[in-house]
Amino acid sequence: MNFSFELAIFGSTIAVLIIMGFLLYFFVQDYRKSLLSKEMETAPKEQANAYLSRIRRELSFSAFIMDDSKSIGIRYLITSLAFFFIAGLAGVGMRISLWYPNPSYLTPIQYNILLTEHGTLMLYGWATGSILGLGYYLLPSLLKIKKDSLGVLNSIMYWFFAVGGLLLIFSKSTASWYFYYPLTDQLTQAGGGQFSFAALIGVLFILTATCVASIIFLKMIFLDRDEKIRISSMSLFVWSIVATAILIISSAPISMIADGMVIYDLINPIYFTGANSTALGYAIMFWFWGHPIVYVAVIPAFGLIYELLPKYVGKPVYSYSSGVIALLLLMIFSGTVWGHHLFNSGLGTLWDMIFSTTSFIVAIPSAITVFNWIATIWSGKVKLTLPMMFILNAIVDFIIGGVTGVMQSDVGVNALIHGTYWVTAHFHFILLGVTTGMAFAAIYVLFPTFTGGRRYNSAMGKLHFYLTAGGTYVMTIPWALGGFEGMPRRVAGYFGIFQSYQDAAAIGGVILGIGQLIFLINFVYSAYKPVTISNDNILEEASS
Amino acid sequence: MKSKTLFELIWIVAVLIILTYAAVANLSYLSTQQQNIANPAGGDPPGVLINVTGYQWAWQFTYNNGTVMTDKLVLVANTTYTIVVTSKDVIHDLYIPQFGVQVYAVAGHPNKVSFTPNKPGTYIMECVEYCGEFHYEMRGEVVVLS
Repeated sequence: MNFSFELAIFGSTIAVLIIMGFLLYFFVQDYRKSLLSKEMETAPKEQANAYLSRIRRELSFSAFIMDDSKSIGIRYLITSLAFFFIAGLAGVGMRISLWYPNPSYLTPIQYNILLTEHGTLMLYGWATGSILGLGYYLLPSLLKIKKDSLGVLNSIMYWFFAVGGLLLIFSKSTASWYFYYPLTDQLTQAGGGQFSFAALIGVLFILTATCVASIIFLKMIFLDRDEKIRISSMSLFVWSIVATAILIISSAPISMIADGMVIYDLINPIYFTGANSTALGYAIMFWFWGHPIVYVAVIPAFGLIYELLPKYVGKPVYSYSSGVIALLLLMIFSGTVWGHHLFNSGLGTLWDMIFSTTSFIVAIPSAITVFNWIATIWSGKVKLTLPMMFILNAIVDFIIGGVTGVMQSDVGVNALIHGTYWVTAHFHFILLGVTTGMAFAAIYVLFPTFTGGRRYNSAMGKLHFYLTAGGTYVMTIPWALGGFEGMPRRVAGYFGIFQSYQDAAAIGGVILGIGQLIFLINFVYSAYKPVTISNDNILEEASS
Repeated sequence: MKSKTLFELIWIVAVLIILTYAAVANLSYLSTQQQNIANPAGGDPPGVLINVTGYQWAWQFTYNNGTVMTDKLVLVANTTYTIVVTSKDVIHDLYIPQFGVQVYAVAGHPNKVSFTPNKPGTYIMECVEYCGEFHYEMRGEVVVLS
């Protein structure tokens, strides 16, 4: 046989990859050993992992090969931050393109691709991913867990999540994050995009990971925690994770089934067409999960506010029991309101009556939560640090977002503002102010731990806060005003009468984008300064 | 009673009163003004009937006398109309902001809604359920004649 040059290149590449893989594994094992204490070095993996996930841990790419809970948390945090910046870039691109009433530098198809990526990645990649990350990272130290099993399962589920996110990015789907039935199955550029089914598979991957992670959270909380921590004295962040996990497990599978049925309908359309069903069947199954996911995104942020607020006010939470009850009521009621997304779809007056009433009811636990925070602030003295600024902004944003939200429960008002930028303004107030704001607050609090004892640049941090908070208002208030006049959302172009609102929102969007760049610069710049403080943080204080 | 318990009771009761008022107002609107919100088509709709079909990416209005108009709806003031809305392909959503009229267009599930324009003028009309490439061009005008 002749000497084959290609075969030689191929063989040596594989050999180099194997050697690199071996070296990587060796270095990571070395790093893991350096983290373990003397007596843990010979302990079984379950106990060694439990030890690893209780101690303070730095951000490190070694986490991608280790499988204790803290490493999994770090993986989710890094990945979800990456998704956040990709999706944020898509959002800013959309804003700039909407400067003129007619599509300017983005064609409608390009705009729709960015629309879909922004929605799916922000919700599934950033909101869900950052919550999973913070859950995996904080729960073991807050609960002082005794054993950390199922690391391999956690690891596989993380890769499901990462691949799902990549599928969402590269599928170039234009079906928007609803993936409503007939549109998703139109495999053309003008319809749902040629590969919209790949995006659906990505969503399925992410939801699988989310469900499994939720079950593991519940296992950690109820089975693996230290006996000394009684259920009645668990921290409120842990309670918020309980509520979130139950909400995910009870609603996400319905949407996963619907996604599977849509994929099957591509080959053989039987489920959402024909005599027994209409396209609304998919919408109903989708919103059964589509509404709970927004509560999934905010309830852990509530938990973080409960957790951090007392530390900057100097007083314990005003009422622990009403906090827990409000979180659990939120969990129960938020599973019953999803029908309000379909008020105008002609499902009947009774449907509207039931779901508008439940939507009013869900405001009660939200109000209890807000009053609890206000009473906590009232009873103490505020120390205005950077995380505290994010918390105060989150409370204000949640009040505005909540009031603009509960207004939509009225069916008559809903016919006026459903499908307009009013709705976009409502959930951006909450998702930007509460979910994203509290994720950043947690990152700032954990920064010394993440970087092994370094301090972030306070001036840049404050600038990040002001640009984020200010940009949110500059962007969403014009949306709300325009939405009340009938400015439709998800459009690549619009009537000229709405241009002033869109231009103001574009300026807000650019301000927001610049703010996040400053966060990135601050993070990288501060992470390589010399070590000046201890690597402790107030969020994990309970463990020590 | 301890002041803390009193305080908590006040904030729960106050919220309950406001929300109950809003919920009852909403329920009474729903039970008296049923024809003004989207409902499945059928029965004996009040006023003049207009059939509306949404398709990618335009609205088609068919009057009783056979007149067909695309992306333009002409009405007469102080007359009650009932529109029956359906779709040829994906889900659309007909929205006339100034009238507070909004109704989904779903293939195989026709919906109706009634309204009475009372002020002559020109208004806008849009599709507000995302429906593909030229979703934003699925819009038109509503002219109300005196």
